[in-house]
Amino acid sequence: MRKNAVAGWLLLAPSLLLLGGLVVFPVLYNAWLSLFDKHAFLPVQRFVGLGHYVYFAHDEEFWNSFGHGLVYAGATLVLQLAVGIPAALLLNEGFRGRNLLRGVVLFPYVIPTIVAVILWKWLLNDSYGLVNHLLVAAGVTRAPVAWLGKDWIMASLVITSVWQFFPFVVVTYLARLQTIPPELYEAATVDGAGAWRRFRHVTLPQTRSVLFVIVLLRSIWMFTKFDTVWLMAGDGGVSRYIRTLPVYAYARSFTYLQAGMGAALAVIMFVMLIVATAVYFRVFERQEALS
Amino acid sequence: MRRPGRAGLLYVGGLVLLVVGAFPLFWMLSTSLKPSAEIFATPPRLVPAHPTLENFDRLFADTAFATFFRNSALVSLATVALTLTVSALGAYGLTRFSFAGRDKVAGLILVTYMFAPVMIIIPFYILVKQLGIVNTRLALVLSYTTFCLPFCLWLLRAFFESIPLELEEAALVDGAGRGGAVWHVVLPLALPGLIAAAIFTFILAYNDFLFALVLITSEELKTLPVGVNDLFNATIVDWGMIMAAGVMITVPAVLFFAAVQRYLVQGWGAGGVKG
Repeated sequence: MRKNAVAGWLLLAPSLLLLGGLVVFPVLYNAWLSLFDKHAFLPVQRFVGLGHYVYFAHDEEFWNSFGHGLVYAGATLVLQLAVGIPAALLLNEGFRGRNLLRGVVLFPYVIPTIVAVILWKWLLNDSYGLVNHLLVAAGVTRAPVAWLGKDWIMASLVITSVWQFFPFVVVTYLARLQTIPPELYEAATVDGAGAWRRFRHVTLPQTRSVLFVIVLLRSIWMFTKFDTVWLMAGDGGVSRYIRTLPVYAYARSFTYLQAGMGAALAVIMFVMLIVATAVYFRVFERQEALS
Repeated sequence: MRRPGRAGLLYVGGLVLLVVGAFPLFWMLSTSLKPSAEIFATPPRLVPAHPTLENFDRLFADTAFATFFRNSALVSLATVALTLTVSALGAYGLTRFSFAGRDKVAGLILVTYMFAPVMIIIPFYILVKQLGIVNTRLALVLSYTTFCLPFCLWLLRAFFESIPLELEEAALVDGAGRGGAVWHVVLPLALPGLIAAAIFTFILAYNDFLFALVLITSEELKTLPVGVNDLFNATIVDWGMIMAAGVMITVPAVLFFAAVQRYLVQGWGAGGVKG
């Protein structure tokens, strides 16, 4: 390797230019903007200091959106794990058609979000949807369920999102499962461990760290998810029953055209994620130390 | 020792997984091929009795779907080309030259990966407007490239690092210039990494809704996700046509993915796909 700083920096220049100009600068500008009352299009701005933050502390819509975000991220995370981990365990076994199935399971994750959403809106359609048809035919409900009405829209959003994102858990967990030395299982079997105890005492300890990463990434990504939530109900109607912080930030900026307010929401989300991540690392370290 | 019923259990589980993964897509395809009377029939038929392409005809005749499709293809492919070029240059710089602060820079690049687009979309929009490129495909390409860069840089860096320097030096000794050595030695060996980066980038660009929603205002520049979502604005939602649109969007994504899937596993192992 040669010492040639100029060539090294030159090669990195396009990357640094893009990231500096289009990520780092906007992040800083965003923090600055959050201190102003600024119209989204017009060049009008007025310094308000921490005014927006104070406003949101008492804003019912803010706390609603925060609550929706917790429910949405929490429910989808738990269900993605509940579906994804057994699926990964299954796909780690040897059986005919396994490789085909590994490909099929990835479908929901590979297709664009817009497709996942229109697909589930159609399946969950109250009058003609297949889900309602099956539920009524099976006698589970007497009348069709208004899946996309205000009472069920959050459940529908969760179903759609879990379907769309559980393959990530499958792929990531499966990748780790494949690297567990078979000897560990053989030893456990010799010791008379059944399937459950092998999972409990071999698989789980071996996959602790990948689970740590999966939970971290999926929580952050679900908490900041915009497209699936927005596409599910758009801007009006029942959208307020699933509105999360990213959607609220979008609405503030581009519907009410209050860019400063939107920027403040982005800063709040960012701080929440940093704090949550730090706490999460702490807790994990402590557990690690205990075990 | 195999317990009785283990194979049965596996197949039941496999079947459930198959239905969960594939049935919704099958249902979309089936609906898209049904005439409207069948779409709204009770009980619904699993397979269309009278398959027809009329939904697809309407999609192309009555909406700007072909334009959206073209825009999505152009933007996604341009993003792939630009991202691969920029990140390959950067990764080469990071692995083949040593200079002060190199590892710090690499770390900082990774930090930028933490910012979800929705957290900077407002200043991003204002910036793009200042640059005078709001409502252009260029704005989309630049946005997607920026958001794919950290991952692709790190992925390619890992691949370039695994290529022995001696191979490159041998080519240099044999009289190839540095460019020739890179082109004939480094890039072919890093091909799986380049392909994984290309898939990751394509999927992200093809899928994006937020940037396209905010940065594009004119009908003739819209990409698929925004354009297709607009189909719901009709007074009577044309489900057959919307399902046809879903099929048309899915086909390239699945084909692209199936063609190069085996490389993706490596890429996923190296860092995970965001979303």
